[in-house]
Amino acid sequence: MHKILNKTVFSKWVKELRSSKIYFPRKDDSGRWNYAQITPDEDAILDVSQTTLPPKKILFPQREIFLEFSKNIEGDGETLEVKEVMPEDGSTIIFGVRPCEGRAAWLLDKVFAGDFSDPYYWKRRNQTTLIGLACSIPPSENCFCLSVEGSPHSEEGLDILLTDLGEKYYVKVLTEKGEKLVEAAKKLFSDPHPEETKKAQAVQAESEKRLRRHLQEARLISEKLKGMFHSSLWDEESMSCIRCGICTYLCPSCHCFDISDEVDAVSPLRGKRVRTWDTCQFPDFTMHSSGHNPRPDKASRLRQRLFHKFQYFVEIYNQFQCVGCGRCISLCPVGIDIIEVLDKVRSHGS
Amino acid sequence: MTEEFEPRIVAFLCKWCSSAGSDLAGVSRLEYPPNVVPIQVMCSGSISPLYIFSAFNKGADGVLVSGCHPGDCHYTKGNYYARRRLNLVKKLLEYIGLEPERFQMSWVSAAEGQKYTQVIKQFVEELKPLGPQTKLRRNG
Amino acid sequence: MAKIEELREEARRLLRDGKVKYIIGYGTGRDGWRAVPIFIRQPEEADRLIWNPTCVHNLSRFLADEKRRQAREKKPDRRPVGIVVKGCDSRAIVVLLQEKFIRRDDLVVLGVSCEKTGVIDEDKLTDKLKGKKPEKIEFGDQGEFIVAAGNEKIAVSAGELLAERCRECRANFPVIYDFLTGEKSPRPVERPFGSIERMEALSSEERWAFWKNELEKCIRCYACRSVCPMCYCDECVVDSISLAVTADTTAEEKAQKIKWVQKSPEISENFVYHLVRAIHLGGRCIDCGECERACPLEIPLRFLNKKLEKEAKELFGYEVGFDVSQPPLISCFRDDDPGDFIR
Repeated sequence: MHKILNKTVFSKWVKELRSSKIYFPRKDDSGRWNYAQITPDEDAILDVSQTTLPPKKILFPQREIFLEFSKNIEGDGETLEVKEVMPEDGSTIIFGVRPCEGRAAWLLDKVFAGDFSDPYYWKRRNQTTLIGLACSIPPSENCFCLSVEGSPHSEEGLDILLTDLGEKYYVKVLTEKGEKLVEAAKKLFSDPHPEETKKAQAVQAESEKRLRRHLQEARLISEKLKGMFHSSLWDEESMSCIRCGICTYLCPSCHCFDISDEVDAVSPLRGKRVRTWDTCQFPDFTMHSSGHNPRPDKASRLRQRLFHKFQYFVEIYNQFQCVGCGRCISLCPVGIDIIEVLDKVRSHGS
Repeated sequence: MTEEFEPRIVAFLCKWCSSAGSDLAGVSRLEYPPNVVPIQVMCSGSISPLYIFSAFNKGADGVLVSGCHPGDCHYTKGNYYARRRLNLVKKLLEYIGLEPERFQMSWVSAAEGQKYTQVIKQFVEELKPLGPQTKLRRNG
Repeated sequence: MAKIEELREEARRLLRDGKVKYIIGYGTGRDGWRAVPIFIRQPEEADRLIWNPTCVHNLSRFLADEKRRQAREKKPDRRPVGIVVKGCDSRAIVVLLQEKFIRRDDLVVLGVSCEKTGVIDEDKLTDKLKGKKPEKIEFGDQGEFIVAAGNEKIAVSAGELLAERCRECRANFPVIYDFLTGEKSPRPVERPFGSIERMEALSSEERWAFWKNELEKCIRCYACRSVCPMCYCDECVVDSISLAVTADTTAEEKAQKIKWVQKSPEISENFVYHLVRAIHLGGRCIDCGECERACPLEIPLRFLNKKLEKEAKELFGYEVGFDVSQPPLISCFRDDDPGDFIR
């Protein structure tokens, strides 16, 4: 379904959706952008920029309670009560999702589905609607979505894609969830004229030319990686890595986690089992209880990250796990550049 | 009728002086408020700042560290290190906005049972108007 | 003015004569204008070394990596490592030497003086250039910065772009070095702890509100810890990895394991992590500002970690990071240490 929405009535549409939790990208007082919940009375203006934290923070929260356990002592006996804690009921709508972030959500969906479907992730995911905004200009100087089979107007993972036509938005409804939101304020939407459709296509084509960075022949690199597990390239490239975890925490498609028990009281026993984000870049990520660590040095961990994004994921799902948002490049404190490293992989030995 | 707030104090007492002093207070049947959870350590110098932060994290309303008077430390120098280190802890906690009355340090010798009760009484009096410590407490 | 040619020549000489294994210095990053840490091993690579206002990193951070690398190798190369340092970075090396974490013979310190200026704050640069992409930033002769952006070159006064920590800098030239380029001209700083004093002037409740607001953003990525040269512990308070959990570990055993901080980024846990880090940096933090620069959420960590640098000076007369023969702050004491807070 294709529609047109005038920007002047955009906030009216948002008002109609007030029964849901609504997130917009917002600038905070330190100048950084992040998705923040808005009150329906707030002026809903959709602005363009790359948020520091991707929508992953909302779809796959950093802390998720799985279950609560408590021991009850009655007389001589004691029973252990275990209570499952599912995400709350209630719908969430995230506006301004970049197409790369939508693609990342689509990739996360693949991971959490399959043979073992993660009920916590899916309860939340099914209640969340992603309204994407096509990138007319690249949000970051390090964007390279086209090189990893995405685009500034890709549709995977999104429920609605908005394209900015100046005074109006071209609204492409992609799923049933998206359709429901448009139905909620039917009167505000109109059918597009043929020139408007053409303009939307022109804007999208133009946006592809504006990307400044490219990773050449990503599929070839993926093949080449297979033979480079023991290469000395990783030692050289990881010399300046400080194993901080920023690249993985801010990556829209990284999803490694740790499960731990948070004990609130010892006697009687009471606590929660909690899932938190974890990162392959921390030294103890692969620490075995025997004390052996198969990835004891930075070289193996940098290799792991690149292999996971560009080789293992390709082998399993035939997609790059990297969506080309460029956050890891922009925010690495020591300037390690994933495109530069992969360029070296491509030209290695040739 | 609402109950009056009773602060919970975690007191790290060095075994050789302050803990003995608190025992003397008990043996002498001196009365003092029951708000203290005493933890005996070998020396005030062995107190890691981590214990103090952890006590506040678990919900203590006040934390007391008590050791031997300067010059009387069973291990000669432990309390001097404590004096320096815990001064830094106090300054840091005040800096982030925790009420200064919540973290106290005292010198109580094994013969000062009376002083121990006074220290506790005064601590409880100062904590009552502040109410429960919620700033650093973990909400379980 | 510090001359990059002198630095390059010295680096070339050291590598040619095999005096050092490799040199840690600043080179130009892929984007053509930002400095990044580089590791050079051949004398020809000395030409890659640069010195400009974007050299913000504290390279002494990599000395811990070198130590770990040596511990893993069966026949380690025991030659020293060359390292390029600014004044602030050299203070970090002094602290590491005080703690005997590294030995003086393991280092060849190549010092660079910042003289009247220092390094830039990138956010200030972005504000100044208003969207134009920078191409090159250099030191000017009069202590200003020459910024080339969008086909023009402008001279900007240091005051407009200087990193906040440079305004309070007490070591504008290295305090320890084997080689130095640039003048050792001390630069008087009126209020070396001005930023802390401003924070202290706020009321207790205001300070609490400030820190709560900032630390709520923390995602515990530990970048602040990873980028700090002093945070070299193999096992940190927050990584309790030495206590093995097997299939047979009972719930009670797991519950009684010492776990100082939970992994979740709740505000109480974030406070414990940052307070523990600040106290562990008491008398060791030299205000290189890297923790604040690395933080992806712009939490102003300098104000937290530097506070104890001020207290060290005011309470104990201890200057952090200047004198190698001085013992670490909390492993010494004076008979007349203040005790007025003790009942």
